[in-house]
Amino acid sequence: MKTKLLFLISFFSFALSFSQTKITGKVTFKNKGIGEINVTLKDTYDGATTDSDGNFSFETSEKGNQILTFTHPKYNEVQKPIVIEDKDVSVNTELKEQINEIDAVVISAGSIEASDRKRATALLTPIDIYTTAGADGQISSALTYLPGVQKVGETEGLFVRGGTGTETKIFMDGSLINNYFSSSVPGIAGRDRFNTSLFKGNIFSSGGYSALYGQALSGALMLESVDLPDQSSYDFGVSPIFLNGGFQKLGDNKNYSYGATLGYSNLNLMQKIFNFNTNFIDAPQGLNGDANFRIKTKSGGFLKYYGMFDTNRMGVKTESLEPGYDFALVRLKGENTYHNLSFKQKFGKYLFNTSASYSYNQSDLNFSTETNQIESEKTELLNDGNYINFKAVIDRKINKISALRGGFELNYANEKLNFGEVNKNYRDLISSGFLETDLGFSNNLSAKIGVRAENSSYLNKNNLAPRFALAYRLAKDWTTSFAYGLFFQNPESKYINSSADLDFQKSQHYIFQVQRSTEGRSLRFEAFYKKYDELIKTQNIVPNSNQNQQVQTAFNNNGNGFAKGLEVFWRDKKTFENIDYWISYSFLNSKRDFLNYPVSLKPSFAAEHTISVVAKRFIPEWKTGVNLSYTYAKGRPYYDIVTQNDKNIIRNEGRLKDYNALNLSFNYLPNIGKKDSKAFTIFVLSISNILGNKNVYGYNFSQNGSRSSAVVPPVNTFVFVGMFISFGVDKTQDAINNNL
Amino acid sequence: MKKYILSFALACMSLLSFAQANYEKVMTEKIAKIETCKTPEDFQALANDFQRIAEKETTKWLPNYYAAFAYIQKGRVLMREGKMQELDAVADQAQKFIDAAESVEKENSEIHLLQKMVYSLKMMVNPQERYMTFGMKAQDELNKAEKFNPNNPRVTLIKAEDIYFTPEQYGGSKIKGMELFKAALEKFNSFKPKTSLEPNWGKEEAAYFIGLEKAK
Repeated sequence: MKTKLLFLISFFSFALSFSQTKITGKVTFKNKGIGEINVTLKDTYDGATTDSDGNFSFETSEKGNQILTFTHPKYNEVQKPIVIEDKDVSVNTELKEQINEIDAVVISAGSIEASDRKRATALLTPIDIYTTAGADGQISSALTYLPGVQKVGETEGLFVRGGTGTETKIFMDGSLINNYFSSSVPGIAGRDRFNTSLFKGNIFSSGGYSALYGQALSGALMLESVDLPDQSSYDFGVSPIFLNGGFQKLGDNKNYSYGATLGYSNLNLMQKIFNFNTNFIDAPQGLNGDANFRIKTKSGGFLKYYGMFDTNRMGVKTESLEPGYDFALVRLKGENTYHNLSFKQKFGKYLFNTSASYSYNQSDLNFSTETNQIESEKTELLNDGNYINFKAVIDRKINKISALRGGFELNYANEKLNFGEVNKNYRDLISSGFLETDLGFSNNLSAKIGVRAENSSYLNKNNLAPRFALAYRLAKDWTTSFAYGLFFQNPESKYINSSADLDFQKSQHYIFQVQRSTEGRSLRFEAFYKKYDELIKTQNIVPNSNQNQQVQTAFNNNGNGFAKGLEVFWRDKKTFENIDYWISYSFLNSKRDFLNYPVSLKPSFAAEHTISVVAKRFIPEWKTGVNLSYTYAKGRPYYDIVTQNDKNIIRNEGRLKDYNALNLSFNYLPNIGKKDSKAFTIFVLSISNILGNKNVYGYNFSQNGSRSSAVVPPVNTFVFVGMFISFGVDKTQDAINNNL
Repeated sequence: MKKYILSFALACMSLLSFAQANYEKVMTEKIAKIETCKTPEDFQALANDFQRIAEKETTKWLPNYYAAFAYIQKGRVLMREGKMQELDAVADQAQKFIDAAESVEKENSEIHLLQKMVYSLKMMVNPQERYMTFGMKAQDELNKAEKFNPNNPRVTLIKAEDIYFTPEQYGGSKIKGMELFKAALEKFNSFKPKTSLEPNWGKEEAAYFIGLEKAK
C-alpha cells in the first residue's frame, strides 16, 4: 500500500511538473528593444532568444525560486531571480553594454594601424605594400602613398608633415632600428634593408605617438615581426637585379621555428639596358643575409631573435661643377648588421615585454675628382657606428579596455667619423623612463595619458614629455580623436662637429581627426598643428677645397618652426568588385628657421600639396593583379645656402617643378588556388614612372654658386621583372615514412 | 523495509530516466529545427537553445557540437549575404563550442569537419590575405575529418561544395564538384549515425545540388 502511495506521489509530482508556466518579457538597451539575447532559466534547458524588438516568450515546467539569465557577447550578463507559481511571469530587463576591446573606440589621431586584424580600421598590410605599384615592396615607399608622408626622392627616411627624414624613427618589436635604410651616397636614397614580409603588421604614427617611444620629433613607425610561421617552407626569388633564397622550418610541436635567407643584388645588367641618369662607375650591388628563431616556452613566453647583415657598394661619377675638374666621383662601401632579441610573457594580469637590439653600421665614402681622365687622390669619409638599444615594458590590464604600462629604455650610440682632418668620436647614452595609461570609460570614450622622461649623457640634459590623446565615438561608424604631445630629439650627431652647448630639440603636436569606417570603406580627415622649438642652427664648413661636399656644424639651439595642414584619406574596397583603391590628399604649410637657414623658410623637403591615388584590381580569370599608383606633389623650394663671414646667406633659391609619377605593376599567380600545387609562384612586372616624367629632386651648386646641376632620380622609367617561388615543405614524404 | 528501498530506487530510476528522456526529447526537437532555420536570427536562436543544453550537460559533446554548427550556419548565411565583417565574431563564437566539444570527444570526424568550416569562414573575411593561414588550416582539418571517418558523407559534401564554388582558374570545377555531391549522396544513403542524436545533416543539401544539374 505504502509502495503504491509512493508511486502515486512520484507520478503525481511528475504530472504536476508538466504543467507549464509561460514566461515573457522584453529586453532593452537604452530603452530600445534588442534582439539575439539569450534568455535562459538557469540550469534548465528552458529559455528563448529575443526577437528584433527585444521580446521573448517561453514555457517551463519548473517551479519555485529560479534565476533568469540574459546573455549576449556584447552586453553584460544580467541575472534576475523569479518565482514561478501557477501564474505566467513577465520580466523586463535593461542591459548594459559590455566594455570590450573589439567595440571600444580606438585612438587613431595621427596613427594608421595595420596590424590589428580584429579591427576594420586596418589600413595597410604587407600584401597591400607588395601590391602597391611604385613601392618596390618597400614599407617606407608604400607609406608615401598615405597622407602626411612627403615624397622626397633624393634622401631615404620618412618625411612626415614637414619633418626631416630623421625625425621619424622606426622600431621593430619595440626596439629602435638604427639602420633601417641602407647606406647612401648624396643624391641617391638608400633602400629599406628589412624585408617587408618579415613584419606581420605595422602602426604608422604621423604624430602624437605613444610615450613608449621617443627621440623622434615627427613620427614613429612601429613594426611587428611575424610569429611562428604556419608551416615550413622554402622560397627563392630571381630577377635580373637580384637572386635570393631562404627557408623557414617549423618545429614538429609547432612551438619553435628557425629560418635564414641569403640574397645578392646587382644593378649592372639593368644599367646596360636602361638609359640611366646616373653614371654608375660601380653599379649598386649588395650581399645580404638574415637568420631568425622563435621559441614558445613551456610557461607561455615567446622568445624571438632576428639578425641580419648587409653589405652594399656603388660608385657614381658626375660632371664636376668646379672649374678645373671634369668629373666628381664618389664611391661607397657600406657594411652593417642588426640583431634583435625580444621576449614577452604574461604573468597573470601583467604582460612583460623586453627587447634588446644591437646594430653596427659602417659607411665608407671616397670622394675624388677626375681631370683629363686622371683621377685625383681620394678623400675618405669613414663612418663607424655602434648602437645598443634596450627596452623593458610592463603592462598591466586594469579592466577589459584599460591598462597601465611603464618601463625604461636605454639607447647607446658610439660613432666614429674620419674625414680629412676631422676625427670625431661621439658617444651618447639616452636613458628614458615612461609611464602611460589607457583609460576606457565606455565603448564610446577612451583616453591615453602618458609621460616620458629622458636623459642624454652627451647633452647632459633632461627632458620631460607629457602626451595625451582622447577618442570619442560620435555615431555608429563615426569616431573623432584628438592628440597632444611634447616630443624631444637629440641633435643629429652628423651636425655635431665642433664643441657647442646644445640641448634637445623640441616639438609639440596638436592633432584632430574625424574618421568614418564601415565595411570595406574608410574616410578620414585630419588637421594638425606642429610647433618646433630649440632646433639646431648650423654653419657650413668646407673641409676640402677640391670638393663641394659641405659639412655643417651645430652651434646653438635657437631654431624654431611650425607645420600645419589638413589631410584627407579615402579607401574603398567595396564599390567596385575586385577593386581596392585609396586616395590621399595632404595640404602642408610649414616654415622653419633651422640648420643653416638664415631666416624662416619653407623647408626644401616640404611640398604644399600632395595627392596620391593607389588602385588595385585582381582579375581572377587571368590570375593576375593589376596595380596602379599615381603621385602628384607640388614643386618643393630649393636653396643654395652658404656661410660667409660667420653668416649664412641664400645665394640661390627657387622652386622645383611639380612632381608627377604614374606607376604600374602586374602580379601573375599561375598556381593560385590549385589544390595539388606544391609551389606558389608569383611573377612580377612593374614599371615605375610609366609616362617618363623628368622629375627633379633638387639642385647642387658649385662652391662659388655660379654653376648648378639638377639632382634627378638614377633612372626616369624603370622596369622590374622578377619571379618568386615558395614551397610549403612537402609533407607527403613524411606521411609515407611514418606509415611504413 | 525492502519494499521502501525498492520503491525509492525505482522512483530514483524513473526520475533519472525521465531526465535522460528529457535530454533526448529536447535534443531531438532542436535538431529537427535545423532544417527549418533560414535567417541568421533563426540560427542564433537555435545556437542559444543548444548552448542552454550544453551548459547543463557538460559531459556531452553533442549540445556543444550543435551550438557550434548553428553558429557556422549563421555565418554561412551572413557570408551569402555579403556581410563579411561579421564573420569573425560568429566564427569565434563557434570556436568556443568546438573547443568545448573537443575537450569531451577526441578525434571525432564530425568535430574536425566543423573546425574546417570555421577556418573557412575565417578565410572568407579576407581570402587574399588569409588563404595561406586559414585556407591551409581548413585543408588540414578536412584531412583529419576524413582520416577519422572516411565514410563520413558530410566530409564529402563539404569537399564537394568547396570544389563546386571555387572558380575554375583556382582549381575548382563544377563537374568535379557534382561528382563529389553524388559520391556524398551515396555515402548518405548508407550512413547510419550511432545514435539518433548524432550528426545526420547534409543529405538534403547534396540532393539539392544534384537537383540543380537535373533541372538544367
